[in-house]
Amino acid sequence: MFCVAPPESETKMNVTKGGLVLFSANSNSSCMELSKKIAEDVNTTIMELLIMVYACKTSCAKSIIGVIPYFPYSKQCKMRKRGSIVSKLLASMMCKAGLTHLITMDLHQKEIQGFFNIPVDNLRASPFLLQYIQEEIPDYRNAVIVAKSPASAKRAQSFAERLRLGIAVIHGEAQDAESDLVDGRHSPPMVRSAAAIHPSLEIPMLIPKEKPPITVVGDVGGRIAIIVDDIIDDVDSFLAAAETLKERGAYKIFVMATHGLLSSDAPRLIEESAIDEVVVTNTIPHEIQKLQCPKIKTVDISMILSEAIRRIHNGESMSYLFRNIGVDD
Amino acid sequence: MPNIKIFSSSSHQDLAQKIANRLALELGKEVTKKFSNQETCVEIGESVRGEDVYIMESGCGEINDSLMELLIMINACKIASASRITAVIPCFPYAQKDKKVRGFFDIPVDNLYAERAVLKWIKENISEWRNCMIVSPDAGGAKRVTSIADRLNVDFALIHKERKKASEVDRMVLVGDVKDRTAILVDDMADTCGTICHAADKLLSAGAIRVYAILTHGIFSGPAITHINNTCSEAVAVTNTIPQEDKMKHCPKIQVIDISMILAEAIRRTHSGESVSYLFSHVPL
Repeated sequence: MFCVAPPESETKMNVTKGGLVLFSANSNSSCMELSKKIAEDVNTTIMELLIMVYACKTSCAKSIIGVIPYFPYSKQCKMRKRGSIVSKLLASMMCKAGLTHLITMDLHQKEIQGFFNIPVDNLRASPFLLQYIQEEIPDYRNAVIVAKSPASAKRAQSFAERLRLGIAVIHGEAQDAESDLVDGRHSPPMVRSAAAIHPSLEIPMLIPKEKPPITVVGDVGGRIAIIVDDIIDDVDSFLAAAETLKERGAYKIFVMATHGLLSSDAPRLIEESAIDEVVVTNTIPHEIQKLQCPKIKTVDISMILSEAIRRIHNGESMSYLFRNIGVDD
Repeated sequence: MPNIKIFSSSSHQDLAQKIANRLALELGKEVTKKFSNQETCVEIGESVRGEDVYIMESGCGEINDSLMELLIMINACKIASASRITAVIPCFPYAQKDKKVRGFFDIPVDNLYAERAVLKWIKENISEWRNCMIVSPDAGGAKRVTSIADRLNVDFALIHKERKKASEVDRMVLVGDVKDRTAILVDDMADTCGTICHAADKLLSAGAIRVYAILTHGIFSGPAITHINNTCSEAVAVTNTIPQEDKMKHCPKIQVIDISMILAEAIRRTHSGESVSYLFSHVPL
């Protein structure tokens, strides 16, 4: 008996309102889509998702597709010191619970797709953000796309290419602690006894990197600065970047991010800072943050998710949704 | 030869510390924190390469957080090349009424029993135990209660709920005679304590002199503390599978039966390859 509510009857499925959109009663061979937003309590949401997926599996759903716009724990996808690769753990858990397909958006690291042995569709929000820039920022042709750290330079480059603008990269002291360069295996092992290491095998000491003071590589004087990133969570690095850009002469500063986690007192800090506008998509609900800080604007991406669901359900090709995506996006 | 390393998740540090003390070990260093977006991050602070790791976690408080922490810690130990990882889960979450947990796992499961510790507590704390009655607050616990009653060589009784009509509320019926005896209610877990309190009332009105309640897992959520404070039981004894310090401050009737020695002995025996079945019939000192 039931199936997916066909998008013909509702043009957009607003995936973030009401967290849980469950289609189906008891069905034997039907396709079930479970939408999940990541709410304040991540762990509870994950458990709920797993329980739901397993319940669908044991009720003989033909296929169970998880629509998880913001994939949690995506920042813990590398081994740091003696930590756990939680994304891999989550991927294993979801596959084991019975998920047969995953639709997500702007994964923090594309390699996370490889952690799953089910098909993963990593949709992109960049076309929506680009459209916002072109429509809502009046003199965007005088803008510069800024990467707040060298790690996001590739993303800035792909945005700039599509808008035919220049880029700037910020490099320096204000790097966040969990930068992608930290890898557990670089930590030197404890020296148990000198005899264990053969005297002639002197392992050279790793020279600690010295961070230069903050610099902006590229010219932002007299321009609009648009900082692009995939996740905006702890805003300290964005605030520092905004300060620097202001000093170098940028007259307006925008921050565009796909996932607006904006946790703890981010809205207050943004309100008080030099940033003019923060634009995020509605992958994560941020109504409360918007009330606290009117600078936060939302871009609706529900149409791409509903289109993806429709195409998967009808067995159509998804490549149309990826047509304008650069290699580095 | 691998060494024992015991790690504790943040759900029940106290019990883990007691277990470590009994084994004359230090708890393993690890840092558990939550990022501002509520994601859990676990970092093991010492080398576990080639070691026999035991991770303690109890299904209490924020269960989903504890579960994720446990999973992340197990994963971290595995990719840090631990030789063997054993999870010590005194109160197994999401298993309210599923006693047969063992069949759901493909790995060895040792389900220990608190019965021996409960018997020891009864003999030490209830002076008239030779003349008491063990009572089960529901029909499902009959087997548990008869087992304890047989070992103490006393009688047992049980309370069952009877529903006359579909829409009427259950009535509690006592099967057995508790007149002029001390009654000891025994159950495996108590969440809101509604059942235990009703049962205690029932027993007193049926003529019992005193009522005690003994529960293995004292989850005590919601209005439980209020119920216990108002109950007519003398005392409510629970094991420390779930941390009870906070609740004891609000409720003087709660007493704790320490089961850390059972867990410590189980860890020691598993590590050295000795039989664990000894623990089913004896309580280590």
